[in-house]
Amino acid sequence: MPEADIAAFLATVPLLEGRDGPDLAELARVMRRRTVSAGDVLWHQGEEAREVLFVVEGALTATLQVPGERTVEIGRAGPGQIVGEIGLLDGRGHTMRVQAAEPTTLLALGRLDFEAMLRGRHPAAFALKRRLAALFATRLRVQLRHLAGTLGGDAAAAEAPALADLELCRPPDSRYMRRMATFHDFDPLALWGFLTSGTYVRCPPGRTLVAEGTPSPAYFLTVNGAVERVLVRGDRRIRVGLAGPGKAFGYEGLIDGLPSPLAAVARERSVLLVLQREHFDELFHREDAVARVFLEAIQRDLLASLRHTLRPAARLAASV
Amino acid sequence: MCRILAYLGEPLLARRVLFDTDNSLVRQSYSPRMMNTFLNLAGFGMKAWDPTSLRPDEPFTYRAITLPTFDRNLRSMAAKIAPTCLVAHVRGVTYSGESVVAETNLHPFQFPGTRVTLMHNGHLRRFATMRYALVEHVDPALAQRIEGTTDSEWIYALILSQLADPYGVPETRELADATAAALRILRRVRADHGIDTSSPVNVCLSTGRALVATRFSFDYGWYPPEDEMLETDLPFVSLWYAIGGEYAEQDGGWGMTAGDPPRAVLIASEPLTTDSTSWLEVPEYSMLTAELGPDGLEFETRDLDA
Repeated sequence: MPEADIAAFLATVPLLEGRDGPDLAELARVMRRRTVSAGDVLWHQGEEAREVLFVVEGALTATLQVPGERTVEIGRAGPGQIVGEIGLLDGRGHTMRVQAAEPTTLLALGRLDFEAMLRGRHPAAFALKRRLAALFATRLRVQLRHLAGTLGGDAAAAEAPALADLELCRPPDSRYMRRMATFHDFDPLALWGFLTSGTYVRCPPGRTLVAEGTPSPAYFLTVNGAVERVLVRGDRRIRVGLAGPGKAFGYEGLIDGLPSPLAAVARERSVLLVLQREHFDELFHREDAVARVFLEAIQRDLLASLRHTLRPAARLAASV
Repeated sequence: MCRILAYLGEPLLARRVLFDTDNSLVRQSYSPRMMNTFLNLAGFGMKAWDPTSLRPDEPFTYRAITLPTFDRNLRSMAAKIAPTCLVAHVRGVTYSGESVVAETNLHPFQFPGTRVTLMHNGHLRRFATMRYALVEHVDPALAQRIEGTTDSEWIYALILSQLADPYGVPETRELADATAAALRILRRVRADHGIDTSSPVNVCLSTGRALVATRFSFDYGWYPPEDEMLETDLPFVSLWYAIGGEYAEQDGGWGMTAGDPPRAVLIASEPLTTDSTSWLEVPEYSMLTAELGPDGLEFETRDLDA
């Protein structure tokens, strides 16, 4: 596949939208073309991630292996889509087995070249981070739909919770925040800029902060306490994750403009950083050191959420 | 913080889970995968029930403050025993002169004459403040048997005290209810003393025929200023399980084979292998019960709202 053809293909990949010609030509030079047959396994769940793959032609399936030697198909990727980036970004191995569903042509991009695209303060790096956030939000919705399908029924109609009555409080000691794994490798000044972008509130246990199917009111970051992320159908519920200190929630709909895919309810009394929608939008689209911390925090959080959401899926599949 | 391991099912050579796997319990003492900032160097303990042994209701017991990876006695014995129930623990304490590393502080705890054992992964913050308020909730005869300095041994005495007969073999349901009741007492006593900081209580109880395990924390997400355990406690203390036919070597690695109905379960602070595809994470705030019955293994998870 000539480099010019690769570059032309890359220009059609949604994740790379907006990258200019020379940029795509440079990317084309480091990509490797690969063809696989139907049934070929590209990697197994848990294997170390070494590259991302762009699907040129054909289709891949992503399958979750669960105890009892069972498997569950979670998603498919077709032309223009990317696979393998989760394990590459969080360094914790591939989340699922990926296999060719039919004869497939792929372009592989190695770890260092992929990471290089995300580094620096170039507008293209910021744009890629935002697109990855949107991609992960979409994937999270797919996984959540899969989980909600196991509960049956629809989410109860709900109104978006109001936040005005939550008690305002002082920001936490920044030394405490820096000791969290989420933040301790960030530039202290930029982190401080992010942490002072919103307001801090106290929330009692049991309080619903985000209702499924309604517009999310804000981006929330747990400072103290814990908030459950849940899917509820009648009297059945699945706890998808627990947002403890340093974990965020409620922002998927702020990224993609869709209603919230799940509810968030305080499990413990909690202190939260709240970024209202307009502050979220402003920070999400800025291109400076503070925005970089913010986008990195969102990316880490989405990656963790994608992994956590697979856990109840595995438990359910194993109990069938 | 510590690491725990419990097994119930078909006879299993202890060496498999203590030494052989690439994230075995003994390896977790010096290289835990899910706890980057803390090692478990304060000793090892285990109890193993073998129905073919003399007095099968009494477990084989081994405890030593030696690092288990260098313990040749342990390695030798682990290659000889194949229990149907095994509970084992590597103890971690803060790196401080105040920590007491002693055999009396090693888990699993079992008071003389009792049939229930307990091991604990977690810690009750400000335990010294509340310790003696627990006395009124503990059977006096049991309180006298507390030998060590740990919060875990008090939790054990408190749970035993909630049983109708602390010296008998309780039904699994009664043991689970006693555990939940003890957690409620701890919550009340903590509140009475103004203790409102994160305190993980992952406990695992065993009778040799049944296991009860919790993944639980009081006031998760709240920490004292300048807390030395902060990095360890920020994530919810982990607990995993693998359930199926038997724990066996296949395709060059160890894993739980399929089994319907299940015949064996492993519960551990972290999966015993790097490949965790045959393991499931226990949900936070929940309790597992497992019991060997005539038709196989009865296994249940339930929410724990203590």
